[in-house]
Amino acid sequence: MTASLWARPIEALAPLIRAGKVSPVALTESCLERIAAHDGKLMSFICVARDALEQARQAEARIKRGDRLGPLHGIPVGIKDNYLTEDMPTTAGSSAPGLQFPMRDAAAVARLRAAGAVLIGKTRTHEFAWGNVTPPVRNPWDLTRVPSGSSGGSGAAVAAGFCAAAMGSDTGGSIRMPAAACGVVGLKPTFGRVSRDGIVPHSWSLDHAGPLTRTVADCAHMLQVLAGYDPADPACQHQPVPRYAKALERPIKGLRVGVCRNHFFERNQAEVQQAVEAAIYDFAAQGATVVDFRIPNLEYGLAAIFAIELASSTAYHDVSLRKGLTAHFQPDVRTLVEMGRFVSAPDYLKAEQLRAVLIEDFRRAFERVDVIVGPTTPITAWKSGEWTVRVGDRDESVLAASWRFTFPYNLTGLPAISVPCGFDADGLPIGLQIAAKPFDEMTLLGAAHAYERTHEWRERMPQLA
Amino acid sequence: MDKPPLDPFEDILGVNFAPERLEHNLGAFRGILAEIQKLRQLDLTDIHPAVIFEPTAAYRRKSDQ
Repeated sequence: MTASLWARPIEALAPLIRAGKVSPVALTESCLERIAAHDGKLMSFICVARDALEQARQAEARIKRGDRLGPLHGIPVGIKDNYLTEDMPTTAGSSAPGLQFPMRDAAAVARLRAAGAVLIGKTRTHEFAWGNVTPPVRNPWDLTRVPSGSSGGSGAAVAAGFCAAAMGSDTGGSIRMPAAACGVVGLKPTFGRVSRDGIVPHSWSLDHAGPLTRTVADCAHMLQVLAGYDPADPACQHQPVPRYAKALERPIKGLRVGVCRNHFFERNQAEVQQAVEAAIYDFAAQGATVVDFRIPNLEYGLAAIFAIELASSTAYHDVSLRKGLTAHFQPDVRTLVEMGRFVSAPDYLKAEQLRAVLIEDFRRAFERVDVIVGPTTPITAWKSGEWTVRVGDRDESVLAASWRFTFPYNLTGLPAISVPCGFDADGLPIGLQIAAKPFDEMTLLGAAHAYERTHEWRERMPQLA
Repeated sequence: MDKPPLDPFEDILGVNFAPERLEHNLGAFRGILAEIQKLRQLDLTDIHPAVIFEPTAAYRRKSDQ
């Protein structure tokens, strides 16, 4: 039984743990054994918690004592290395000298601990969450390919069965892109839904915290623990926290499924396009109403996110920049941080104006639809070291292509989820992205679960042996 | 005595990269600038940016803690 525990989702494990039928120690041992066997190839963890088994033993003791148990009691969860933790070092993926992060729990980490999770280790991030490759992490579906990023360690670790869930952060797609590339579920909640307190900032008005899991139900369980007001995050909002598991019972019949035909469908790899069109067809076949629409102003979105992200990142790293420490950053991150100096204040504010325009455009779209579906990324996982990829009839930079469909929901703060919707001819996962109105994660999770439960993609796992 | 003219990079943008580094970064910025130049062409005069100055937030946070 122990051998297969790592493969089970939270939705299966949590009730068994509560009933005393699965031991948190056996579950954690199962994950640790799998990490020991395979993470030498995947490199998804930068640090495995030395006390992971001790955490599990304490969880088991609480069950035996009949203590009140949290919703994630005894569940192994990985933490992205840009979340502060009181018992494991934080590097934010950087080995530059002079950087030191506090040893304390980020708000999300504290919530996971209080919910009974076993914090099994820190997963690798692209340096300062600034990138889509996450070296040296490899994709579990094909070790020659990237897991995407910046939460690439979390995506690879969940896909490989090293932990039942992992935390990610998402500034332009960094939860959803690795979820799509690694064949798992990734949720970026509404801006303000989950506290970012204690996460190393990248871009204050774009950063989101959220989970990567194996199933949509598991995302609902994680969000239940993570959501809520926190005065320590200035963007966090006082909003009711519904019972997200209730969303999983929602029927799809009558749901208005929007499809933004410009931007999201103009240039995709053929197999991505086919898989997403098939998913849209499936929504209609289940009784949803499909509504096509267009948002022409998305044409200016890339300028806006670059202006905001570059300027914010450069402001955050200003001291390092002035001291010349950026020379010790990875070459791609160094260039991005230094380039932020070229973004003028009027360009930044014009980007914020464009952002207001896009927020209004999407609000109007949501008068006619309940969710918006499309591809998470136009491409599947690309080969490590490749900087351009064939998309449609042209070669395109992977940086430009990979986040094209995810960043609009960072600019607008809307909740968005990536769920697996197929595999290409090379056996690489394809992601379907679903977005909803602000703080309407119920509809988002309901639609994602309705799609997931009528397909078998979640049953597939990468063969690592 | 006349002051020396301002350097657009060093004095105004606060950039003091070595010449080869400046050239590298400007080259990398070219594609992004092309996008920003498209944005500059938009007339957004009447649009309030998605930035809200909220002077009571700090007081509210204090009372919440």
